[in-house]
Amino acid sequence: MSKIVILGAGISGHTAAAHLRRKLGKEHEVLVVSPNRNYQWVPSNIWVGIGRMKSKELIFPLEPLYKRKGIGYKQARVVSFHPEGNKEVEKPFVTVEYVFGETKGTQENITYDYLINATGPKLAFDLTEGLNPGTNKAYSVCTYDHAEHAWEGLHAIIKQLKTTDGKLKILIGTGHSKATCQGAAFEYILNVEKELVKHGVRDKAEITWISNEYKLGDFGMDGMLLSYGNMIMKSNEMVEMIFEDRGIKWILEAGVYKVEDGVAYYENLEGEYKTETFDFAMLIPAFSGHGFKAFDKNEVDVTDKLFKGFMIVDADYTPKPYEEWTVQDWPETYQNPTYKNIFAPGIAFAPPHSISKPRKSKNGTEIFPAPPRTGMPSGITAKLVADNIIDSIKFGKESLHHKGSMGNMGAACIASAGYGMTQGSGVSITTYPIVPDYKKYKNTGGRDLKKTFGEIGLAGHWVKLALHYAFIYKAKMKPFWWLIPE
Amino acid sequence: MTQRISKSQRSNMQNLFIQFFKFIYLNIRILKIVAGGHGGTRK
Repeated sequence: MSKIVILGAGISGHTAAAHLRRKLGKEHEVLVVSPNRNYQWVPSNIWVGIGRMKSKELIFPLEPLYKRKGIGYKQARVVSFHPEGNKEVEKPFVTVEYVFGETKGTQENITYDYLINATGPKLAFDLTEGLNPGTNKAYSVCTYDHAEHAWEGLHAIIKQLKTTDGKLKILIGTGHSKATCQGAAFEYILNVEKELVKHGVRDKAEITWISNEYKLGDFGMDGMLLSYGNMIMKSNEMVEMIFEDRGIKWILEAGVYKVEDGVAYYENLEGEYKTETFDFAMLIPAFSGHGFKAFDKNEVDVTDKLFKGFMIVDADYTPKPYEEWTVQDWPETYQNPTYKNIFAPGIAFAPPHSISKPRKSKNGTEIFPAPPRTGMPSGITAKLVADNIIDSIKFGKESLHHKGSMGNMGAACIASAGYGMTQGSGVSITTYPIVPDYKKYKNTGGRDLKKTFGEIGLAGHWVKLALHYAFIYKAKMKPFWWLIPE
Repeated sequence: MTQRISKSQRSNMQNLFIQFFKFIYLNIRILKIVAGGHGGTRK
């Protein structure tokens, strides 16, 4: 009998738990530890942030589902890792602290045979002074409750716009010099613009995109060359075309470092310190590791064997210049090299380096996007980790047959650009591979143009809506859920 | 110079008939890319 402990119940952790439970016999224990009581389908937060969807439509409680499916669940947060056990406990374990109910605040050691760290990122609002969702007129859509707040703020602005003769300023983008998830901010700015049009107040609002990207459409993936209809265009040209079409201004190469009431302070690559005022802002924070600690059996700190901000996996972390980066640097199995029964799929693993070219301002501040790891790769990497663990248990020896490097994996980014069954819009971009392979596809910017394309139109909105319903169906583990690919 | 979305392109983007077929086409193409497999990059 084996015991698999999964830390986190987001897209990655939940996917791993579902596959493990489906494929392993009941004699094996699958246990999920998460401080969150609900599963949330994060990509639809955008629609909560414009008041077009209620958060209850994209969340559901984990405990009843896990109880029905025979998956253990503890609503707790991880405190420390003990991959060798200690003097009292022979097996490896994690110390967790309950965050809800009668046991709130009490700690427990949970032993495991295999550990999947799917704790995702910490939303590091603290790395940008004054950036705190719902304060200083700045909001976030990173979680469903943040998105609800954002809608309250946007709703108030729309009301204000209806009664004022003057112009109001809306600022959307990244709130830190190394933030990622530009895609979510891109979706939000297009949706907000569309909502203002619907409410008849678009002409009274100045909408500005602010980002740490060197060019529009970088998205933390070094941009891309893509096919659009019968044209080949760069992603920056495509995004520029969309922003021009909708009258959205943009500020690039901007590392936001401070937010005050209605003012964003930023530094650009020229080393200039500037400000941008706003009446409503949505700024994505930096993502960071959770600051976990790890100890060996003698209680000696071994954090550096497990963590490098995020968790260390089978990537090549050797520091080297941008020109020498290759797709081979990226992990394939998400296994920790020191403790081989620990895995970190999704956003929990430490990337070997960024995907976008690193750039520094004249003052030495790094201003470029961190690598994004969206829902699709999170699900794919979680499933392959689960499959490797299942094989290892079944064969009685380590099996790492299932591999999935982001340098050999495609992703689809269906960016909503406005809500509505007949008036909606979406920007659909697929990319293959996610990490550009400049050797294999040397003439097309590291990407396979047959699989890297863009489309704009109502169909994109329908696809995103279809994905919303399909993935919530899958997450609820309804009949034949496993037929829906990650 | 920035590429512009023409009036006819904009009209096609919201045309229910065209977009229905595009929806089918997008789903198939995305499925092929996502379900088309993934793997390692090292020998």
